Amino acid sequence: MSRRLSEGLVQEDGRVRCRACGHDLAQAGTPWKAAARLVERPMKGAGGKAYSAGAAVRLRQFCCPNCGALLDTETALAGDPFLDDVVGA
Amino acid sequence: MDPITFSIIRHRLFRVVEEAVITLKHVSGSAITNEGHDLMVSLYRADGSLLMGGVGFLHHLTSAAEACKAVIRRFSGRIEEGDVYLLNDPYTAALHTSDIYLIAPIHHEGRLVAWSACFVHVYDIGAMNPGGFSPESPDIYTEGFSSPGIRLVERGVLRQDVFDTLLNMVRSPEMVALDLRSMIACNNVAKDRMLALIHKYGVATVDEACAELIGQSERLLRKRLGELPDGTWRSRQFMDVKGEVHRVELAMTKAGDSLVFDFTGSSPQSRHAINCTQWASLGGLFAPLFPLLCYDITWNEGVIKPITMIAPEGTVVNCRRPAPVSVATVGAIQSVNNAACATIGKMLSASELYADEATAVWHANHFAIFMFGRNQRGGQSIGILTETFAGAGGARSFADGIDVGGEIPNPISRMANVETMEAAFPIRYLFRRRMIDSGGPGRHRGGAGCELAITPHDAPDGGLHYVVSGKGAEFPMSDGLNGGYPGAPNSYIWVHQDEAGGDNRDARFAKALDELPGRKEPVTWGVFPLMGKDALYVRWNGGGGYGDPLEREPARVAADVHANLVSAEAAQAVYGVVLQADGRVDEGATAERRKTLRRGRLLTEAAE
Amino acid sequence: MGERARYIVASDVGGTCTDTVVFAAGEPIHLGKALSTPPHFADGVLDSLDVAARAMGLACTALLVETALFVHGSTVVDNAILTRSGARTGLLTTEGFEDTLLITRGAYGRWSGLSEDRIKHPVKTDRATPLVDPAAIKGVAERVDYKGAVLRELEETSAEEAIRFLIEERGVEALAVSLLWSFYNPVHERKLRALIERVAPGVYVTLSSEVAPVPGEYERSSTTVINAYAGAISRDYLQSLESKLGAAGYRGPVMVMQGYGGLLPAREAANLAVGMIESGPAAGVIGARYLGRLMRDADIIACDMGGTTFKVGVIQGGAFGYAREPLVDRYHYAAPKIEVVSIGAGGGSIVALDPETKVPRVGPQSAGASPGPVCYGRGGTEPTLTDVMTLIGYMDADHFLDGSIKLDLSAARRVFDEKIARPLGRSVEAAAFGIYRIAAAQITDLIHEITVERGLDPRDFVLHSFGGTCALLSATFGRELNVRKVIVPYTASVHCAFGLVSADIVHEYTHAAVLPVPSPPEAVNDLFAPMVERALGTLHREGFAGDRLSLDWSIDLRYSRQVHEVTTTVRAETPLDASGLVRLVDDFEALYERKYGAGSAYREAGIEMTLFRLTARGLMARPTIEPASLNSPDSSGARIGRRAVYSEAKDAMAPADIYDFTRLVPGNLVAGPAVIHTPITTIVVPDAQTARMDALRNIVIELG
Repeated sequence: MSRRLSEGLVQEDGRVRCRACGHDLAQAGTPWKAAARLVERPMKGAGGKAYSAGAAVRLRQFCCPNCGALLDTETALAGDPFLDDVVGA
Repeated sequence: MDPITFSIIRHRLFRVVEEAVITLKHVSGSAITNEGHDLMVSLYRADGSLLMGGVGFLHHLTSAAEACKAVIRRFSGRIEEGDVYLLNDPYTAALHTSDIYLIAPIHHEGRLVAWSACFVHVYDIGAMNPGGFSPESPDIYTEGFSSPGIRLVERGVLRQDVFDTLLNMVRSPEMVALDLRSMIACNNVAKDRMLALIHKYGVATVDEACAELIGQSERLLRKRLGELPDGTWRSRQFMDVKGEVHRVELAMTKAGDSLVFDFTGSSPQSRHAINCTQWASLGGLFAPLFPLLCYDITWNEGVIKPITMIAPEGTVVNCRRPAPVSVATVGAIQSVNNAACATIGKMLSASELYADEATAVWHANHFAIFMFGRNQRGGQSIGILTETFAGAGGARSFADGIDVGGEIPNPISRMANVETMEAAFPIRYLFRRRMIDSGGPGRHRGGAGCELAITPHDAPDGGLHYVVSGKGAEFPMSDGLNGGYPGAPNSYIWVHQDEAGGDNRDARFAKALDELPGRKEPVTWGVFPLMGKDALYVRWNGGGGYGDPLEREPARVAADVHANLVSAEAAQAVYGVVLQADGRVDEGATAERRKTLRRGRLLTEAAE
Repeated sequence: MGERARYIVASDVGGTCTDTVVFAAGEPIHLGKALSTPPHFADGVLDSLDVAARAMGLACTALLVETALFVHGSTVVDNAILTRSGARTGLLTTEGFEDTLLITRGAYGRWSGLSEDRIKHPVKTDRATPLVDPAAIKGVAERVDYKGAVLRELEETSAEEAIRFLIEERGVEALAVSLLWSFYNPVHERKLRALIERVAPGVYVTLSSEVAPVPGEYERSSTTVINAYAGAISRDYLQSLESKLGAAGYRGPVMVMQGYGGLLPAREAANLAVGMIESGPAAGVIGARYLGRLMRDADIIACDMGGTTFKVGVIQGGAFGYAREPLVDRYHYAAPKIEVVSIGAGGGSIVALDPETKVPRVGPQSAGASPGPVCYGRGGTEPTLTDVMTLIGYMDADHFLDGSIKLDLSAARRVFDEKIARPLGRSVEAAAFGIYRIAAAQITDLIHEITVERGLDPRDFVLHSFGGTCALLSATFGRELNVRKVIVPYTASVHCAFGLVSADIVHEYTHAAVLPVPSPPEAVNDLFAPMVERALGTLHREGFAGDRLSLDWSIDLRYSRQVHEVTTTVRAETPLDASGLVRLVDDFEALYERKYGAGSAYREAGIEMTLFRLTARGLMARPTIEPASLNSPDSSGARIGRRAVYSEAKDAMAPADIYDFTRLVPGNLVAGPAVIHTPITTIVVPDAQTARMDALRNIVIELG
């Protein structure tokens, strides 16, 4: 039985999985971002010339480590904890 | 209760609010009220709880309820038929001093049965800086007149001494007088219509319908919350003022049929006027909650009951007196709006049933520029650049965000025509258009914001001045959802053309920022001149994107490039779409490019 | 036109039907009804003429040869916009402002035209797709400022390139030209037209300075685009109509109804597509005004309710108001249009219970004509207001529409019981009457909005009830509004066509300029002089002179720093002298306070005149309706039976007398509770009210 957690994530067999490839990211009801690939880059210029952000501002992209699907983004400064979203198991 | 009578009374209560809104706009006649729809009218029950919230700036619905309760406490036993009370102290209930509440009890046969309350953003409040937003104020004492509750009308008679005292403290007292009169008229209409309703159906029946209306809203919201998954969702907002970074941190937890918004971790209160009080934060989280979760539920006390807020004292979201708060509505309150919109979007997205209601953040950063000075006819003009209301829609699960599509907390705003602005102020626009690459990339793109430039024109004093209390170009604030990028940030640039020196380019008809010669100085906070040949360039944020940009249909990306909404560079770098010379999608190269970008994501380290 | 030309013929093309009415002095009114024939609407007009002629025992040609005047109203432009079937249109605008049309003053274009329920749900809202492909918008280098001064000359070479690009690369068939401040100085728009005519002579061109010479570039551009988009369609349509009528023997002028309630000769109307928008409802208001004149009523609430929509317009002191921010579909336009507001409430409106709260609601969804109400037996499965009317005995299952359709009462009862009455825990009749009350309350609230909220008191008004569904409810909501009386006009079935023949030729001229108060009267007179000259020239050419023409001046005024402008009629002699100007300003101040409330005037900032309007009328001959002599009150001759209908007083079904309208004679009284069936509608006379047929055969229910 598969259950929606977000656009890119589903819960199956008690696990948080990538919807696209089924990759196992975490136990259901726990944070999953630590298991994702983190692509972090300067926000400045990230979406084009209009992204005139300060030097310290980062765009974090959390991707499926198996298929590369982009699952979530965050605006952050270095050292900020992840915005860990948890959907009840 | 008889559902037929209930249905009729509900519709009529709604019309009471609508009619009062029309009165407010009619009598006030100001641009900010009529174009920006920067107003609110609502009905409250005898105890001050929200009965029927109107469509206006929605963060006021709960604050005005608190204002009613504050007046009830202060004037207990002395509230008379025909009274009208004024309250604008942010530490009592208001959002900031320039959004004045006028609150009127409604009596039936001598008994208090309800309240009406309204606000407009008054022309001026006598703060350090004109127009209400006062970025230079160090504390509440310099933010103009502020009252925790005062009787303005006593048994139907205006207290002229109080009225005159108030007007003695503000710039353009005639305009503020008109604003106050419009609010008195608005409350009178609400009272008349409410009494007509009671006359027709009887006080007991109306009271029963009101109680049922609140009960029904609570049942409906609790049922909806019950249908949504339990969980905790987080968001974070940055506010940059003169290089100082403040943050609003939110963890929203849904359990069963209730919802907790916890702002623990937010920055300590600032010396700048971006702070907000706890009532303002509460209003700030309800502003998106009403249209996002209660779009088919009457906005009243019943919706408030299942919601709890935790906002630690001494932070930007619950500051202590005398912290300055005049910029709150476009400062901490707007960040609370954004943070709540982001977490609600995530929660909706976690539900199969409600996923199509999820949206990325809309228009997260008002630039709220007030201009003031002598106009081309010799009179004084103070007024807002109404483009601040134009906004941009966040992308949705099923569609792109709406370009220049407004904002969630104020569902029916609009901006003025260029011709209206050029007639009212001694300025000329060089351009006003959608901004390329401003909408947050995603499978569905965030709505585009705009860019504009203005320069003095026929100004008797050579130009004018403006107050800007924007959070600038440091942080994008319209968060994306489900992998969508945030929309591009705001930017304000003072172009010193008088210093252009040997540059012979004709700047008078420049079509873009790049074509404007002269030194370009970013400005974000304070009062600045716009004189001579100088120009002010303003860019406002796009909406957040939704989903992975590599999954966007290539043809849509090509169409965006063609429409100047996305650059060819961003199409390649962000969307992985390669275009041929004729502008059409190069299918092969695009597939290859997307494969490369996706592989690139896998080459990086695991997050921890 | 010889002496035999004695008929006035009016044809009104609606979405479904085309109605023709033939008037002649001393003769009964003849009707012709035929189905509309989109997109070739002219065929339907000829069909309906044919039907009318046959009813008179004439050939169509014989009728047309004897016709002195043909008056016409059509939804051809509304239809072109609703079905997106207009020309491929391009837009030329001032460089730097190419997005003006697309960004619709921000969210304005996203929420305009939406119901409150949808406004409260912004995630599910969107703009309408623009009528111009965004790729067919080009900026041209030029600039005029707020006082009309040219700051930058039009660059003709690059402008010509832009025109060629739109025509050759984008394939546009029509061009809209809308430049900043062109209503003060149209020089660049005119140069562009000359360029277009040279480069591409066949392309249809509309200039904003001609079609909407008013401030506000977004609304002006939108109007210009609508006109260019539908321009060729309206021009070709009117040409084809004229030639078809000519071929059938007609030799007189063709006059076309405008949304502001006046007629224009077809030649002129052909280039003003935007003027034809919503001319049908406008004709309805004009018809109500004329009927009011015949009955000596100057204050009228004109209601029209059919299958899907309830529409209402207001006439006060013989005058009507204009819509402030008119929309067609969801597109804004700036052209004078009689204010008519509407809600989705009609006979086909679906009655439903909220699945959660069980609170009932009526509309705005409609079952339409197909599948229609359950009782039609055409596959409708959702209960509608028509079903409700049948269940409470107001509509006669056996004699609907003159007996042409037999209603399936038992199916209506079964569905209504299952979906509405049982979940509400009520009898079918009690629940149905509850729904009836909700519909009446929604209509009351709408009329409240267009009267009380505009500073008008319904107690001063009479209510006209038109359309197939309205008279079933009008005595009920009329009583709640406290109007003086409800009138169901004899001409109700052909009301819009009736409005067409009671309209005048009206040319509207405007000039935008800002003049302070006080200004020398000559400054105002100088602005009007060229408009007066143009108007007189036009009216003379159309054959109007002496007391058959009138020129009315009006001026928009506002308090400085205020957004509300109020059109104020010049009541003094024109040209104005100093005292006339003073009187105008006094009138403005009184009007402002009445409209926007006591204390709303802000004199300290000064007063400005912003728009100068000339309304030039060519007065048309009107058909007269001879009053009949009144007979005895005894209506028993028209009583055709008794049937159980819902009685509010008894809160139960109770027997009521049923009357046949066609057998009533002027002077008859009908005491409620009663139901009067006419060939096109049903009139409910509630308990304790009395209806009478007046000398013009109208049914009048006195309430005051």
